[in-house]
Amino acid sequence: MIAIQILIDGFVISALYGLGAIGFTLIFGVSGVLNLAHGGIMLIAAMIGWFVANTYGFNPYGAAAMGVLAGLLAAYATYYVTVRPIQTSRTIPPDETEIFILTATLLWGVMIQEGLAYLFSDNPVTMRPLLPGVVNILGVRTPRNEVMIGVLCWVVIGLLWLLVNRTRLGKTLLAASNNPRALGLLGFELSRVYLLAWTIYGVLAGVAGVLLASFLGASPLGAGQLTASAFSIVVLGGLGSVSGSLIGAYIVGFMETITAYLISPELRPIPALVVLVLVVYVRPQGLLGRR
Amino acid sequence: MKTIFRSRLFWISLVAVVIGATAPWWLSIYFLGVLTTAYYFGVFAMSWDLLFGYAGIVNFGPTFLIGLGAYGAAILNSQAGLPIPVCLVFGALMALIGGVLLALPALRLTGPYFGLVTLVAVLLLQNFIVIFAHFTGGEIGMMVPDVLSVSAPVNYEYALWFMVVCAAILFGLSRSSLGLILQATGQDPIAASALGFSVTKHRLAAFCISAIFSGLAGGMLVFYSGTASVDTVVDIAIGVQIIIATVLGGRRTILGAMIGSIVILLADELLRPLGQLNTFVVSAVALAVILFFPNGLLGVLLHGRERA
Amino acid sequence: MRSNAPVLEVDHLSKRFGGLVAVKDIGFDIHGGEILGLIGPNGSGKSTVMKLVMGIERPNTGRIRLEGVDVAGWRPQRIARQGIGIVFQHSRPLHRQTVLENIKLALLPDSLFRLMADPSVEDRARAIAARVGLEGVLNRLPGTLPFADLRRMEMAKALALEPKVVLVDEPFAGLTASEVADFSRLIDGFRQEGRAVLLVDHNVKSVAALVDRALAMYLGEHIAEGTAEEVMRNETVRRVYMGGEIETHPRPELAREAGEPLLHVSGLNVLYGKAQALQNVSIDVHEGEFVSVVGLNGAGKTTLFNAISGLVPHSGAIRWGGTDLRGKSVAQIARAGIVQCPETRELFGDMSVRENLDLGGQHLPAPERAKQLSWLLELFPILQQRQGQAARTLSGGEQQMLAIARALMMKPRLLILDEPTLGLAPVILDLLSKAMHRLRETTPITVLLGEQNVTFALPHADRVYVLEHARIVWEGDPGRFAREMGTGYL
Repeated sequence: MIAIQILIDGFVISALYGLGAIGFTLIFGVSGVLNLAHGGIMLIAAMIGWFVANTYGFNPYGAAAMGVLAGLLAAYATYYVTVRPIQTSRTIPPDETEIFILTATLLWGVMIQEGLAYLFSDNPVTMRPLLPGVVNILGVRTPRNEVMIGVLCWVVIGLLWLLVNRTRLGKTLLAASNNPRALGLLGFELSRVYLLAWTIYGVLAGVAGVLLASFLGASPLGAGQLTASAFSIVVLGGLGSVSGSLIGAYIVGFMETITAYLISPELRPIPALVVLVLVVYVRPQGLLGRR
Repeated sequence: MKTIFRSRLFWISLVAVVIGATAPWWLSIYFLGVLTTAYYFGVFAMSWDLLFGYAGIVNFGPTFLIGLGAYGAAILNSQAGLPIPVCLVFGALMALIGGVLLALPALRLTGPYFGLVTLVAVLLLQNFIVIFAHFTGGEIGMMVPDVLSVSAPVNYEYALWFMVVCAAILFGLSRSSLGLILQATGQDPIAASALGFSVTKHRLAAFCISAIFSGLAGGMLVFYSGTASVDTVVDIAIGVQIIIATVLGGRRTILGAMIGSIVILLADELLRPLGQLNTFVVSAVALAVILFFPNGLLGVLLHGRERA
Repeated sequence: MRSNAPVLEVDHLSKRFGGLVAVKDIGFDIHGGEILGLIGPNGSGKSTVMKLVMGIERPNTGRIRLEGVDVAGWRPQRIARQGIGIVFQHSRPLHRQTVLENIKLALLPDSLFRLMADPSVEDRARAIAARVGLEGVLNRLPGTLPFADLRRMEMAKALALEPKVVLVDEPFAGLTASEVADFSRLIDGFRQEGRAVLLVDHNVKSVAALVDRALAMYLGEHIAEGTAEEVMRNETVRRVYMGGEIETHPRPELAREAGEPLLHVSGLNVLYGKAQALQNVSIDVHEGEFVSVVGLNGAGKTTLFNAISGLVPHSGAIRWGGTDLRGKSVAQIARAGIVQCPETRELFGDMSVRENLDLGGQHLPAPERAKQLSWLLELFPILQQRQGQAARTLSGGEQQMLAIARALMMKPRLLILDEPTLGLAPVILDLLSKAMHRLRETTPITVLLGEQNVTFALPHADRVYVLEHARIVWEGDPGRFAREMGTGYL
């Protein structure tokens, strides 16, 4: 019984983690940017979705759409306010852009977090479920919403896979992560490719944020924690590797769920962290990463 | 020695320290408190800049070292009741041991991976503090039986002189032969090793120095505030603030890191009337400085914008 | 000044990087007071040999004995303290310290506890600075120095530990003629002091006057050894640098009949930091022509092409079909019809051959893309079989063909080929040469080819430019080149 419960919860939580992390890894893979405002962008989507539903009475789907849109706009803002100015700056030496982008996106993330807390207070909020009611899965009473979220996550992940592997736009993204210089020589404007990556990223982070708000709830003050968890998952799976991130998400998700159910909810994050440390020491490029 | 007394920097610093030392006579108790904390942060930031700006090591987990120092000192004080100086030394020792255990295997890693390990170390420490709550007070934090002083001016002077001594040592180190070699290993490790310098040895040394000062300052902060808690000495947000303070003040200058810390903490207080928006405004200003003046406040003071 | 026992003895040195054998069974001796030139084109493994001797890379097999002590596999700092010094071509000095302090750094002991330098360090630093001719700029910051002085500073640092062996990487790259003379005297001074000197360079000519002996490498192997003259005359060396017999088939009418050139470059200057990479370079390419720019590695060919492609900032004019290319992005220039196939190939290594080709043709409408693809697969049949394979797993020759094919997928008006023969075996060169021939005979394409391998560059060329030390020093038809330049080129 508890095994099935763990399976179901673990599956859905992991899917949600995965969805949150793949956008993060995509941006790193395509443009080498570690976006530490990631949690903030997810939360913008979550809070806006919750806000329009509560204040303007949007139905759950309309609210979710508004949330995703907000996430997308936040991603664009992140790109244009922090990343792009640093990449094109003449005063910042190229070998230091990394630390500058990290610092800038961190500050930007703090601004988002504080801005949200100011506008919406820092109380945790939960969006109304997309689907009400419960279903019985092998004897475990599971909210329909949870099932729906698990499925939605995988639908979005599947769509991303199709986009990257089966379309010309997707091939361009792959090529950019492989060798951006060559892409320019073949007549592709890199800035446009990056913009495309940020668009996809914004949608992914938006969907992840909205689903998070509807499943676990969201609080403006959780931005840092969300970024850290996406970061750990991505490092575990290998920076820049989308399938690695999914595997990482499932390892973390299941370890957390198992620990929470079988040992103690207090210890929830520990085993995954230990695994993370081991992986970073033994195989710093992550499970599927390449040096 | 003669050159020291001729340098403009020395006289400016001397005047600044004298003015700082007289602050208890003309500044409110409230701001003395703010500055006291800011001075300890200044030491955190300077220790971080020695690693980042000189040895070229990006340590995302300064609070791992600070937290070890703070909790090491606090636990020894509350469990064994030993006097504060002993606890401080013990804390610094814990930070040093922890730092070496972290750095020895991690320094092999290159690129972003070293940064990742240090970040994960903070997360681990944070969780261990929560798990061993009966020792550490868990999420609430722990009180220490002893404090440096109950008088705000005395605490202020302790912090000021602690920072001045640390600044003198760290700044001196940065200008010493060791600092020269550290910079060489940070800028071009291959060329440095071809000149006959052991890169690993020097990087480890830089990490140890940073650990000792971070740990000491962490312990001092605990005996000033009377508590050790995750939120004040371990949380990633604290580490972030240290990094931001350094870049804001001017990386690779040691003294800039100190100035950045004081500016950030003061600004946070001065903007308190804005209510919840104050952190937002401080972050926005810091972001603007980083984008438009990448060499930080000290860089602007020294060279103006065109040299940036 | 020559002593009896060699100071440095290298035997059977080999180094593999993954599947690539970069250095294969190399051996040589250098005596005190002797200068050995180690020469070879890019990718020949000469720089790897230097790194192996310094300990920056660890050899797989072989011995490196310094005065009888085997230092192979030691860490660089230990080798440096044992008595080998290196003058890097590019190293990053301490930018916030003066020249004097940069030199003092090199004199410091490898100790964590000596915080103040000995007073004698200052005097020694000044003495070394005077030796290399830096006494006038001791208190300046490296960022304010001219390029030659930065190189002097590197020399000073390498001398600090009084090495018995000095390794110098490309001693004269980026220097003017008078500076070359100064540096020759400096290096000759090392010999006078009884040090063993290893000069690593692309070609014999630039170091011929200085070296006592030269050793030539190609594709990781030892191909010739002897005095500079002997090496220059050596058949294998000539074949490596120049190829074999030179044939030419110019079509002079193309340039004569054309009106305005398709590509017109005039007064082009490029600076890399302080080094002048191109100086007042002007070339023209007419519609349908094959133009070869011939020059040794480091002469500035790649810089010229990168300037045309918009990859490096430059001054001077580049006009394309009558319009100025200034301010155009790399991608805009490529879409305007100037497609570069770079020396480094720049393939999408993790993607398949087919995906690489498709990305090249992505701006074409589908039917045209299909047509172009089938034509290219016919031109390079091997790519047909390799379509599904990841580009990174191809052999060097296959990768080069893929790079060319991918550039051609864009249907360029002007194809820029940078060193297509780099590191390729002779068999592959023949295949490439045939493909070039077909391209020239069956299509109206215009080609600008940069090569150091003259035998590859000349047969297809209608006109030739010779680039040397950042300048165009000769221009004319390939027949005249074979007569006038053929002998003095190496």
